[in-house]
Amino acid sequence: MDAAIRAVALVKHFGVVAAVDGLTFDLAPGRIYGLLGPNGSGKTTLIRLLTGMTRPTSGQAEVLGVAMPNRPNLARIGYMTQADGIYPALTAGENVQFFAAAYGIEDMARVREALALVDLADREKTIAATLSGGQRRRLSLACALVHQPEVLFLDEPTVGVDPLLRVQFWAHFRKLADAGTTIVVSSHVMDEADRCDELLFMRAGKVIARGSGATLREQAGTKDLEAAFLHFAGVGAVAA
Amino acid sequence: MNLRRLRAIVRRVVAEVRRDRPSLALLFIAPIVVTGLLTFILREAETPDVTAVLVASADTPGPVVAAIEGALERGGIKTVQFDEATARVNVAHNPGWVAILLPPNLAGGTITLVTNGLNPSAEGAQIGAVQRVLVGAAVAAAGARAPTIAHETVYGTPSTDPMVPFAPAIVAFFLYFFVYLLTGISFLRERTGGTLERLMATPVTRSEVVTGYAIGFALFATIQVAVVLTWALGAIHVPALGPIPEFAIGLGIPVAGSPLIAFLVVVLLGLGAVSLGIFLSTFARTELQVIQFIPVVLVPQFLLSGVLFPVETLPAVVRPLVAVMPLGYAVDALRQVFIGGADLASGALQGDLFVLALVAVLFAWVASLTIRREVV
Ligand SMILES: Nc1ncnc2c1ncn2[C@@H]1O[C@H](COP(=O)(O)OP(=O)(O)OP(=O)(O)O)[C@@H](O)[C@H]1O
Ligand SMILES: [Mg+2]
Repeated sequence: MDAAIRAVALVKHFGVVAAVDGLTFDLAPGRIYGLLGPNGSGKTTLIRLLTGMTRPTSGQAEVLGVAMPNRPNLARIGYMTQADGIYPALTAGENVQFFAAAYGIEDMARVREALALVDLADREKTIAATLSGGQRRRLSLACALVHQPEVLFLDEPTVGVDPLLRVQFWAHFRKLADAGTTIVVSSHVMDEADRCDELLFMRAGKVIARGSGATLREQAGTKDLEAAFLHFAGVGAVAA
Repeated sequence: MNLRRLRAIVRRVVAEVRRDRPSLALLFIAPIVVTGLLTFILREAETPDVTAVLVASADTPGPVVAAIEGALERGGIKTVQFDEATARVNVAHNPGWVAILLPPNLAGGTITLVTNGLNPSAEGAQIGAVQRVLVGAAVAAAGARAPTIAHETVYGTPSTDPMVPFAPAIVAFFLYFFVYLLTGISFLRERTGGTLERLMATPVTRSEVVTGYAIGFALFATIQVAVVLTWALGAIHVPALGPIPEFAIGLGIPVAGSPLIAFLVVVLLGLGAVSLGIFLSTFARTELQVIQFIPVVLVPQFLLSGVLFPVETLPAVVRPLVAVMPLGYAVDALRQVFIGGADLASGALQGDLFVLALVAVLFAWVASLTIRREVV
């Protein structure tokens, strides 16, 4: 099957910093991919390149067979940014409704559905500024989901979300993936990583390892992912 | 341009501003308070120094001239006598001077007062002072058939309400000021709050964003202008009721042209201000910085656009800058409508409207360039 997301020798420099340093990979449709790496390892930059928010210094990013940046293709992509990116003066419902309209959807049923999904159905009329931090995070997710995208990029979606809801989030991500949505989740929380089908360990703009959680642990000969990451990071450091 | 997406942006902008009660209040209350205060100050101002130039026609009887001169001097008005041409040259160059052209026969004749016209606010008071003396003296000299007194100016159209030249300028300035401030701040929030990045991750185009903002704020600008114009031009007299004495709502400033054309002018100006706000929000990192741009961007416009100081009296050095002040074109256009009664057939008004439209389009384009995106 054709790749849902493809990076070919993708490079992004900010001055002397190589935020993304020559990445080539294919991501298959209907799977959940985890981008794991420390602060500044290039996760957000990679997602911005794949969504076409920024142009690569060199190389190419493709989503659903279309080279990014491409504006019409954005209708098939959902992007939950690392910052909440919601309008504090609007109500929860108005926020979702606005982003839905931006994607060309004016069906209020879809808006309510997205709100229900993140457990905010009873907060439709609440001004976003008065929601709690975790509730705003959920609202932000609803805004990224409302148009039922084929490819979903989630930049640290579970930060500030309570454990119970986090479980619900992941259950929902799995449901979406089963329905064919390709999901890319960035995180530096290792215990979430095991819920992904495949992990990409990132460090200094490079993918230092790729595989399922079990495979990576096995390769590294460690019990937990954290130790596995350090193992690969050490190998990366030696190689570099 | 997708109309549904555009409508969504307009609705969002409107909803945001509507919820921002303090800004909304400021939008309407501030211009009303300031125009009211200014009107009061100008109308009640002290009489300035006046020099009267008495111009007698060849047939005006000498004693009449002498009587009027005497009355003027007694009224504390310095008086000189010239022929008409010299008088007009003097008036053109001296804002404090008033030429009094006496007819051959005062009884039933017309006394014409000529003023400079550049600073009508001061002239209103000058004319008033001269008029009071003249009427008394003329009645004494001519008997029952008192002469009528006409007023003409070297520049512009005469008016005795000192607020007349300010009303259009103040309307334009407030609109420009508030639309800039509100757009600048809400767009800054859009940039720093991450919503712009998010919006750019949807199929919305940059021109839809700029147009959406422009329409949204144009709606508020329109309401603001409607309220301010009604307040400034209207004079609703409320009759006395019991202990409450008769009073009037509105400043009752006379307007020669159509308020609808005035509307068109300010809406074009407002569109330019929206784009200016979007553009400058690029260079600001905090809301305070948006405000800090005011002395840099708005105050020079205020000083150089003839709001307070007539463009004609500005030092030659800064004169070229006047041409690049959008506010100046709006003030000029509004004065033509308010004072000159210009309609759309007027070439000068068309010129101003053209420049304002050009500025709006140009700034909108520049503003859309400041919304960083890899795809249009
Ligand atoms: N717009 C930018 N201008 C300059 N440098 C940037 C910019 N965006 C990112 N960088 C740099 O690129 C590197 C990678 O940043 P990025 O935001 O992709 O990291 P991240 O993996 O998402 O980190 P975090 O876990 O903290 O979110 C960092 O060194 C960062 O300073
Ligand atoms: Mg990040």
